[in-house]
Amino acid sequence: MLGDITIGQFFPGDTVVHRVDPRVKLVLTVLYIIAVFMVRSVVGYGLLLLCVLAIARMSKVPFKYIMKGLKPILFICIFTFTLNIFFTKGENLIFEWKFIKIYKESLINAVYFALRLVFLVIGTSLLTLTTSPMALTDGLERLLKPLKKIKFPVHELSMMMSIALRFIPTLLEETDKIMKAQIARGADFESGNIFERAKAMIPLLVPLFVSAFRRADELAMAMESRCYRGDVNRTRMKTLKMEKRDYTAIALSFVVLALVIVERSVL
Amino acid sequence: MEAIIRLNEIDYNYDTSQESVAVSSVSLDIYEGEFIAVLGHNGSGKSTLAKLMNALYIPTKGKVTVCGYDTSDDDSVFDIRQRCGMVFQNPDNQMVATIVEEDIAFGLENLGIEPLEIRKRVDSVLDAVRMGKFSDTSPNMLSGGQKQRIAIAGVLAMQPKIIVLDEPTAMLDPVGRVEVIETVKKMNEQLGITIVLITHFMEEAALADRIVVMDEGRIVNIGTPREVFSKVDELKSIGLDVPMATELAHEIRSLGFDLPKDIINDEELVEAVCRLL
Amino acid sequence: MSLVVKDLTHVYMPGTPYQHVALDNVSLTINDGEFAAIIGHTGSGKSTLVQHFNGLIKATSGSITVNGIDITQKDADMKQARRMVGLVFQYPEYQLFEETIYKDIAFGPRNLKLSEEEIDERVREACALVNLDFETMKEKSPFELSGGQKRRVAIAGVLAMRPDILILDEPTAGLDPRGRDEILALIEAWHKLGKTIIMVSHSMDDVAKYADHIIAFKSGRIAVEGSAQEVFMEPDKLIEIGLDVPKSVKLSHMFMEKGINTGLCYTAQQLKDSLKKILGGGMNAG
Repeated sequence: MLGDITIGQFFPGDTVVHRVDPRVKLVLTVLYIIAVFMVRSVVGYGLLLLCVLAIARMSKVPFKYIMKGLKPILFICIFTFTLNIFFTKGENLIFEWKFIKIYKESLINAVYFALRLVFLVIGTSLLTLTTSPMALTDGLERLLKPLKKIKFPVHELSMMMSIALRFIPTLLEETDKIMKAQIARGADFESGNIFERAKAMIPLLVPLFVSAFRRADELAMAMESRCYRGDVNRTRMKTLKMEKRDYTAIALSFVVLALVIVERSVL
Repeated sequence: MEAIIRLNEIDYNYDTSQESVAVSSVSLDIYEGEFIAVLGHNGSGKSTLAKLMNALYIPTKGKVTVCGYDTSDDDSVFDIRQRCGMVFQNPDNQMVATIVEEDIAFGLENLGIEPLEIRKRVDSVLDAVRMGKFSDTSPNMLSGGQKQRIAIAGVLAMQPKIIVLDEPTAMLDPVGRVEVIETVKKMNEQLGITIVLITHFMEEAALADRIVVMDEGRIVNIGTPREVFSKVDELKSIGLDVPMATELAHEIRSLGFDLPKDIINDEELVEAVCRLL
Repeated sequence: MSLVVKDLTHVYMPGTPYQHVALDNVSLTINDGEFAAIIGHTGSGKSTLVQHFNGLIKATSGSITVNGIDITQKDADMKQARRMVGLVFQYPEYQLFEETIYKDIAFGPRNLKLSEEEIDERVREACALVNLDFETMKEKSPFELSGGQKRRVAIAGVLAMRPDILILDEPTAGLDPRGRDEILALIEAWHKLGKTIIMVSHSMDDVAKYADHIIAFKSGRIAVEGSAQEVFMEPDKLIEIGLDVPKSVKLSHMFMEKGINTGLCYTAQQLKDSLKKILGGGMNAG
């Protein structure tokens, strides 16, 4: 019952897309997000779509998998789409019925807005599908390293992130088990009003928290016993080194970004 | 011979937690290359004893020395932990990383070892616990026994002199139990690592050179498996098992037959009964 | 109260790359008052099977009939099914959540919407069944107890539902010998009171000692089935599917190889009696 969560799920592989330095992928994703917000025409979206499709193809992640990430945002998409259609005004009225007025501009806007969301999710899913969570936190830690100078706890944050990632499947499994155990004692998680349902969660949440704290306690002890002392004199087994493919990826992205800027000023 | 771990008149009291029983006036010398089993029921203080050997707990009274370092000396904590590795009961709650090889590297990274050396050691310990083909798997995909072997590998990579295992098989199925115990035996026999195995399974304790029996925070018996198991009634009275052969021999002897007192395995029992007939 | 499973198949995540047949055409009958044991390696389908018995997992195909009610039917009354079949999970102490032991044990009966008197009666009864002193325990927090006690409170929570069939998934996991013996003695006592027991276990010695109907699983199928006598008299079949045999079976086998005819004993008690007889005879003859 908890198996549908794909955002943040890694699809292992050994393609160029998988092997690109996580730092590069993170920076490129940021650039991509900027680009998504900059484009304003069919040509621009076409260009981005082409890029995304090309990367998806190269990564060998099944298309169905990438699309799965869209499911949870479908509602938000439709919601913003309708909001945009009905509540923005334009000049060319194309539909009118009683108090409902739809303008051409608002329709276009709504489509673009929904498209942006879809593009955002597809792009970030591609990042998480092709980069292991560990590599991702690693990349993030190294990218943010300069912030250490201003006492920003970069190492601690990335440690927390990777521990969270490590324990998500464990805790999901545990949730499932406790839920079943309480259902076996006649608990009902599915009916009743909001208040009743919230109350019905107590038999699930209390054991889950108790167990999470116990795990935290034991893990802390296990880490200590393996000489963990925070970011003091710590090395890493996997060092990140920029390679040819990373520079190529950056160069290509700048070309795309340039095209987007051109598109924005010309069209 | 100098003891590698020396516990001298140890007291340890918890002031907050009621979970574990404290340890009181425990003295024990463990020598290099030994395989020691600490046997006791849940709450007998055996887990506490394990954590005292790794500077995770500092004794309230007395002194614990590991490889010559005093555990109460703050400056030597990391020297102790590197030399005396620890494997815990719950296989899930001791893995930090989402990939097996990175988890093994964790301890080495904490020690500040060079990346190339880490790589080398990780690969070699993965082979030592026969988990080489799982190097880039997620721990979530492994069985309990495999996870424990990874935990052992993680400790082994730090090239310790001693490995303390705190009930490493309590949560495993029979297959996993055998995997882990075989690995532990191998570490002891082939690499000469001193093993302290905390357990309540007498079959596992029977493999050790010496067994330390604990009850209510005290050591109630120390000796070879043969010596310890021969005290059937004493072990049973503190809630522990003895090997089936020992128990059968004990019963037959109580019927007035003359069987040796120190039978601990099936072969010896069969032979002894044969001699009776 | 019998439990009849017919052609039960369960496929996990069908249609995905992770598709996995957990149960493959399983048929079995557990009769009223039986002490059945389900054995097999981790991942052989044991846990999946027992979770079907009170509808926590839906069958892909096949049927499960509990006391004449087919619980795999769409309109089956699952609440009724769960009242008849109690399921104690592995490490059940992890499901405790209430402030007091009383409230925790009362959780199930309360979900059944029983009257306060009835709930009180059931909590007292359940406490007695697991050997917990009601008066000293009722107001305590379940989190203050020792591991073995916690487990007994958790099992009491299931017993308070008054199930006719009680399923226990590895009830002794993680316990020390004393805790294990206590739980097994309790289970044996409930069986004597007339409950049908289904125990999932890894320990051949426990199974041999208590169960009268043994079902061994291998890769989602029943590999060996029969009474303890039948199953352990042919240990080769168990060894063939990678399972262990009870220690007494091994030991009596060794005796017989040396010409001491103990017979194949599957419990320590049998072996003891057999040896006593042989030795006693030996003494008389000598």
